[in-house]
Amino acid sequence: MVEKIELSGREQRKVLVRLLSYTKPHKRIIIWAFFLLLLTTIGDIVLPILVAIFIDDYLQPGRLEFKPLLLLGSAYMGIQIVKAILLFFQLVKFQEIALYIIQQLRIDVFSKVQALGLKYFDKTPAGSIVSRVTNDTEAIKDMFVTVISTFIQSGFLLSGIFIAMFILNVKLAIFCTILIPILLLVMVVYRKWSSQFYLDMRERLSQLNAKLSESLQGMSIIQVFRQEKRLRKEFGDINELHYNAGMKNIKIDGLLLRPAIDLIYIFALIIVLSYFGITSMHQSIQIGVIYAFINYLDRFFEPVNQMMMRLSLYQQAIVAGHRVFKLLDEEEIAPAQSDDPHVSITDGKIEFNNLSFSYDGKRDVLKNITFTANPGETVALVGHTGSGKSSIINLLMRFYEFERGEIFIDGKSIRDYSKSELRKKMGLVLQDPFLFYGTVKDNIRLHQSNMTDEQVKEAARFVQAQEFIERLEDGYDHKVVERGATFSSGQRQLIAFARTIAANPKILVLDEATANIDTETEEAIQTALAKMRKGRTTIAIAHRLSTIQDADLILVLHKGEIVERGTHQELLAQRGLYHKMFLLQNGGVEHLEDVAN
Amino acid sequence: MRVFFQLGWFFKQEKKSYLLGVFLLLLVALLQLVPPKIIGIVADHINEGTMTMKLLAEWVFVLIAVGLVMYVLRYYWRIMIFGSSVKLSKILRNRLYHHFTNMSPAFYQKSRIGDLMAHATNDLAAIQQTAGSGVLTLVDSLSTGGFVIIAMAFTISWKLTLICLIPMPFMAMLTSWFGTMLHRSFYKAQEAFSSLNDKTQESIMGIKVIKTFGQEQEDIEDFRKQSEDVVQKNLLVAKIDSLYDPTISIIVGISFFLSIVFGAKYVLAGELTIGELISFTTYLGLLVWPMLAFGWLFNIVERGRASYDRVSALLREKVEIIDQENALDLVPHGDIEYRIGEFTYPGETAPVLKDIHFTLNRGETLGIVGKTGAGKTTLLKLLIREFEGYQGDIWFGGARLQDYKIDKLRQAIGYVPQDHFLFSATVAENIAFTNPDADKAEIEAAAKIANIHEDILQFTDGYQTVVGERGVSLSGGQKQRISIARALLMNPEVLILDDSLSAVDAKTEEAILSSLKQNREGKTTIITSHRLSAVQHANQIIVLEEGKIIESGTHEELMELDGWYRHMYLHQQLEELVEQGGH
Repeated sequence: MVEKIELSGREQRKVLVRLLSYTKPHKRIIIWAFFLLLLTTIGDIVLPILVAIFIDDYLQPGRLEFKPLLLLGSAYMGIQIVKAILLFFQLVKFQEIALYIIQQLRIDVFSKVQALGLKYFDKTPAGSIVSRVTNDTEAIKDMFVTVISTFIQSGFLLSGIFIAMFILNVKLAIFCTILIPILLLVMVVYRKWSSQFYLDMRERLSQLNAKLSESLQGMSIIQVFRQEKRLRKEFGDINELHYNAGMKNIKIDGLLLRPAIDLIYIFALIIVLSYFGITSMHQSIQIGVIYAFINYLDRFFEPVNQMMMRLSLYQQAIVAGHRVFKLLDEEEIAPAQSDDPHVSITDGKIEFNNLSFSYDGKRDVLKNITFTANPGETVALVGHTGSGKSSIINLLMRFYEFERGEIFIDGKSIRDYSKSELRKKMGLVLQDPFLFYGTVKDNIRLHQSNMTDEQVKEAARFVQAQEFIERLEDGYDHKVVERGATFSSGQRQLIAFARTIAANPKILVLDEATANIDTETEEAIQTALAKMRKGRTTIAIAHRLSTIQDADLILVLHKGEIVERGTHQELLAQRGLYHKMFLLQNGGVEHLEDVAN
Repeated sequence: MRVFFQLGWFFKQEKKSYLLGVFLLLLVALLQLVPPKIIGIVADHINEGTMTMKLLAEWVFVLIAVGLVMYVLRYYWRIMIFGSSVKLSKILRNRLYHHFTNMSPAFYQKSRIGDLMAHATNDLAAIQQTAGSGVLTLVDSLSTGGFVIIAMAFTISWKLTLICLIPMPFMAMLTSWFGTMLHRSFYKAQEAFSSLNDKTQESIMGIKVIKTFGQEQEDIEDFRKQSEDVVQKNLLVAKIDSLYDPTISIIVGISFFLSIVFGAKYVLAGELTIGELISFTTYLGLLVWPMLAFGWLFNIVERGRASYDRVSALLREKVEIIDQENALDLVPHGDIEYRIGEFTYPGETAPVLKDIHFTLNRGETLGIVGKTGAGKTTLLKLLIREFEGYQGDIWFGGARLQDYKIDKLRQAIGYVPQDHFLFSATVAENIAFTNPDADKAEIEAAAKIANIHEDILQFTDGYQTVVGERGVSLSGGQKQRISIARALLMNPEVLILDDSLSAVDAKTEEAILSSLKQNREGKTTIITSHRLSAVQHANQIIVLEEGKIIESGTHEELMELDGWYRHMYLHQQLEELVEQGGH
């Protein structure tokens, strides 16, 4: 998705200044790069002067002395070679700076993303967040690598050439300064027009690609409704507009880019030749100086061309920078926790007190939830989709902030514990356990590098996962592809169990998988669950009622409210919602007639 | 260079532009020789003190004239050559799109959309570059290079020319070699970048897991490491990239050095004037670009050829489902009869449908039920001819499906697919997909039957609300109902609802079914569903299991049977009871 952003001049400058502030930590290497740049520029300036000296002092008078000429010749080649070597390092240094700046920017954005609350992820598509972190920063990189370094290098060279011209001939150099406003004018006009046309072309291109991608996705619909012809025409129209925008760009580039700069070069040449020509009518002229001036003119215009060709990149980078900074300034932060590291969870008693919650501030998904889970007990949450089970877990895990009601752990507000204490003592197993790209071992260990292989295996054994893991090719080093797609959902679940057990939490939060799990893993999962729950306070969402029959407390939720509560036997005796759910899952369909009444 | 022959058809088609463009390029290359020559002549006059106002004015006039003419010519060849290259990419893009719209689902099953997109973007860009910059570099480097060398050799000194040219081929060789290396390292850098992209994507998808385990810091550290890899790979690119300028500067420097040293010798020997030497060095400056360009040319052309091969291969993919000769040019109507022995998807071995025999009378409703993967959707896909190659025949209105033109057959069918895909357009445009000229009343009528009218009025912009990937997000049920309205707008002979009521609640389902019944008098409807209530009132219901019909009849008949249908029906009734909170 490409939004069109119009930035005022002031905003553009603000973005640029903020981008440039990222150069601060790299002061030393920047000073180095500038020093090298200074040296290579001096080399560029000195070489034509050497030739001028040769022509004026030796060639024209026909004075050919071996020693000074050898000296001059070796100086020329020596400077040429040293300059080339320095040039290499200077170019590399500038790119290196740009790359490190972008790396820092990327890390900053990524860290910011990690600090954001889940609410932000609900309202922002994952794709657009990813593109902030990678694509936008890449556009900024292009600016740093090409635009800024070209500008600096060209600026140095241009100043150097002017200094040299002033040294060689002040009067002519002054004449040449009229080139500057002319070039600036061309640049300003070009920038004004081209940025507009260029943005227009980018916009058309993104429309074109969006249309294509959408058509490919919806091709079966297009075909079944016989709209091929119409869509071909629509696509053709956008394609035509893109073509027109492309032609406009070629025209504006043709009018104001290279051809224009080459024309200005001819004018500059005329100034130089006329000046020397007219002067030569009254006094004699050093022909070497003519050579040097013409040589400078040749060098002068290439950097100008380079700078102008890169103006469009600058525009893109500023827009990208604007988007990146907007994310960096985002205020939807994760719920705050106390910093006090000494408050710790010892027993694992959980109390929900009159808790109500809404995601959007309009519709309550939880209403007056009150219950207590004593240390070591299991509380099961049951109810159909949308009844509020997952929201209870989201709040307990502090994914979302709540305002009405309170959650206590060991008698203290959940907010009084530090973040790391909560994460250490509470383990969550998600319904669709997310596996990361890497190995099985990596997925159990996650980023806890101090966990030994033995501990990993221990955890896997504890949750009955070792059997299937060891059957895999390479066992614990088996490659996990994107999102663990090659594993069955039961196997993914077992790995997630191992991951949680390896962290040895005091409180266990389970979101039971609904997906079809084959009977073989089903058994392993059941055994594992029973073992895991032992000695831990457990809050479990259960889809299969058979798994929580021994729970100390079962809460039946409907539309955000607890409508029934009790043990399995108590609830069955009530013959209410729970009873019906139980029948449904246990093939009790035939008794439907009984329940319906 | 083969790609230039492959693109021959286009050059022929655009021969006016290309011939004119090349001619202008040649003129520019010739005119370019003038300013250095004038520099030399003027410098000699100055040196010898023979400059007069009149002479100077003459030469300045020539310079101005040449400068202006070159400006105009340079502008026009760009329009001709670059303009044509943009045109080429336009043509190829349209061709690809046209081709894509002809390909059957089997093609889309085996290709990834990302790859197809890449062909239409990156590959076309590379081809465009070949037809533009490629042609320019070829012509320009040959002509400018040739003319400059001729000018140097014939108007100044052929000996000096030969000496100074010695280092130049090395430049072309080196830049071409750097180009290959750059391409390779750039590829690696791109790979590192895309794995950073994957990493970011994964972290965002798995943000809950990361937060659960409190591993934000560790994950950031991991990201830092990967971004370091990106930096390192890019540094390699930077290093190769930074080789260009120094190499050029050294080689050009050597050429200059040689020209001054040997030129000086000839000046002293009286074979050359100082002005001519200055002209000569200026000519040398003009040679840098053609040499460089020659190095680039190989890289551009190589990439262009690879891309053109890929695009051509794609365009050569055969269109699988086509009209028979003398196919019936009329919209079918009447009874539908399935007489299928077996059907297997292309490239697979296990049949998905076996012994499917039934007749659906015109105006009746058919319900198809069964587990996921039982073959319900496949059965329908054969009817709309998304797939062919089954044993037996399907008859529609007295003729086989293949006897009709595809376009006519599909005109008879309104299909509402399982995955309700909406386009990024307004609600009204989505509903009026089959007939963009439909008026408001028609659109609203369709929306009302699909029970979505009230919902649409609640949207911020009503029927003008933009939906789809780049619009507001709708609930699954809303999308389904808009898809239904889209199919209803064409008032089809046969309406197919392929599990299209799964995301709406029981009440809405009932409302839609009853308004369908009222509005589709005499027309055929096929409904597949998981929820049996959707097919309960059908004239005929078939139950599929593993591609075979295991039960069939009306609801009442099937309830009598005490088989899969009855069991499922009771189960779902209880389910509904639970969903409503047990009351």
